Amino acid sequence: MLEAREVMVFYENMLALNNISITCPDNGVIGVFGANSAGKSTLMYALSGIILDIQHKEKMRGGERITLFGQVLQDGEDITDLKAHLRARRGLVLCPERRRLFPESSVAENLAIGGHLATKSQAKETTEFVMEMFPALKALRSRAAGFLSGGEQQMVAIGRALMAQPTMLLLDEPLLGLAPSIQHIVVESIPQIRKERGISVIVTEQYARPVIPYVDYAYIMENGSTVMEGTREELLDNPDIKAAYFGC
Amino acid sequence: MGAPVMEQKRKERIDRGIKVRSETLYALSSWEEIGYLITPRVLFIAAFLLMPILLSPWPYWSRVGLSMCILALLAISFDFLANYVGLVCLGGAFFYGVGGYTSALLNTQLGLPPMLAIPIATLIGAFLCTAMLAPCLPLRGIYFAIVTLMYPLLMTRLIEAMDILGGTEGFRGIEGFSSPWTEQYGLIFGLFFFLFGLRRLVNEDQGLVIRAVKDNDQSVRASGISVTWTKTKAVFLASLPGCFAGAYYIHMYSNVGISAFALDLSIMPIAATVIGGGGTLIGPVIGAALLVPLSEALRDFGSLRIVVYALVLTGFVVFRSEGIMNVVSRKYQQFERWVKV
Repeated sequence: MLEAREVMVFYENMLALNNISITCPDNGVIGVFGANSAGKSTLMYALSGIILDIQHKEKMRGGERITLFGQVLQDGEDITDLKAHLRARRGLVLCPERRRLFPESSVAENLAIGGHLATKSQAKETTEFVMEMFPALKALRSRAAGFLSGGEQQMVAIGRALMAQPTMLLLDEPLLGLAPSIQHIVVESIPQIRKERGISVIVTEQYARPVIPYVDYAYIMENGSTVMEGTREELLDNPDIKAAYFGC
Repeated sequence: MGAPVMEQKRKERIDRGIKVRSETLYALSSWEEIGYLITPRVLFIAAFLLMPILLSPWPYWSRVGLSMCILALLAISFDFLANYVGLVCLGGAFFYGVGGYTSALLNTQLGLPPMLAIPIATLIGAFLCTAMLAPCLPLRGIYFAIVTLMYPLLMTRLIEAMDILGGTEGFRGIEGFSSPWTEQYGLIFGLFFFLFGLRRLVNEDQGLVIRAVKDNDQSVRASGISVTWTKTKAVFLASLPGCFAGAYYIHMYSNVGISAFALDLSIMPIAATVIGGGGTLIGPVIGAALLVPLSEALRDFGSLRIVVYALVLTGFVVFRSEGIMNVVSRKYQQFERWVKV
């Protein structure tokens, strides 16, 4: 179980996350929806620990001062000050926004880097799982990832995150810039990942409609705060939310 | 992160009121605002203008002051290329040597006086450097760094092996300056010219395009601008202070040799930029103003000098990679206070 308690993030004097508390149970799928600047990515950085890295780099560079408050707990244990790579080793793996692949490495190499700490058999088995889930990747194994289409790159990014053997996967805007038909393929991997591998997923999106059928519970964010939360049914029943985020 | 939110405080950074006011027309509203704006600039300029007078009783330290200006020019050139154009130049010595040899030729072969030879050598040298670097400008990444690192070595060996340009002996008996005052103020005004000229340029339209090339060359192309041509112009501009430094220096010492292409001349400007603060153009000058006297003070340590040097540099990179100038200007422009969350 992953829990964020009263998390606040300031970028210099700007409040990016205002007192956010979210919970993701084991083997659950949680949605975080909101427009640009809602704080979705910052929340993902805070959960995955990347924020600590950004904070340090900005400090050394003399850039923005990032101030953090609140707690992040994994299975009741405080991991607030744990660095991103150590959180990843504990099973909390981020699949970042805009994919961030290793563009000059091949698809197979990208996956291999993700599975660097996994055992050989785990890596082999996970690669097979990824290739089965995204058959389009099979023929692209030796192609440089930077030259793949956006959809293919997203599949590699999810695959790479799975290679790190997560127990909880943080998917930051996985549908960004994808055609509806490709969105379909990507989004359908979420229940598959949950069902076949028992991985919980926290997924953020601007446009909730393609994702909402697959989440159990969702948070709606605006300007760094949660403005509404509820189960899928509760949110779908709310006419305001429906109009704003589901486009129907 | 940590304890409950309510008791937490965070440090807030806010622009000083006077800074905000002096950015607009209110800058002229009172002497306080005017003073806020011009004091740092006046202090900087006054320090350089007074340097020759204050150091005149000690000829040795006057020379150190001039070496500092030479290093500052090379550091400005490095900072401009690295932090505004995005080209890491590991061969400041190349600009320096080309400028030096060109001026030496103009003086010894054509008999031009220093005050004419130096500006002409600066221009010709910059043309030569740009022409020689042009082939690697369409490339991205490390190529420019490699080529600039190789050129000074290449020049050294070429001069040695082919015994051209005076061979290992170099040129001697180059005409010096008419008086120590001309020598010192000529260099200081040269430094001002390049420093303030480039600072102005990077905020003008041309400079905007140059900075954009560093950020995203594809988007620059999409705006219909030739990236290679922009880089070529930028390299020419960056070679100018480097060539000027070389040309000036050889007239100060009346000789030039293959040491004009020494690796030190490529490394020291980088150190000055890191310490002073990259991306500010003033920072490298401040870095040079600290490094050169430090290096002179450490002269007794002999070859251990480089160890101290390396330690200072590493310390800055590890603990204060933003550099002195960035810290100072932030303190000058902003204040901090604790606020309740």
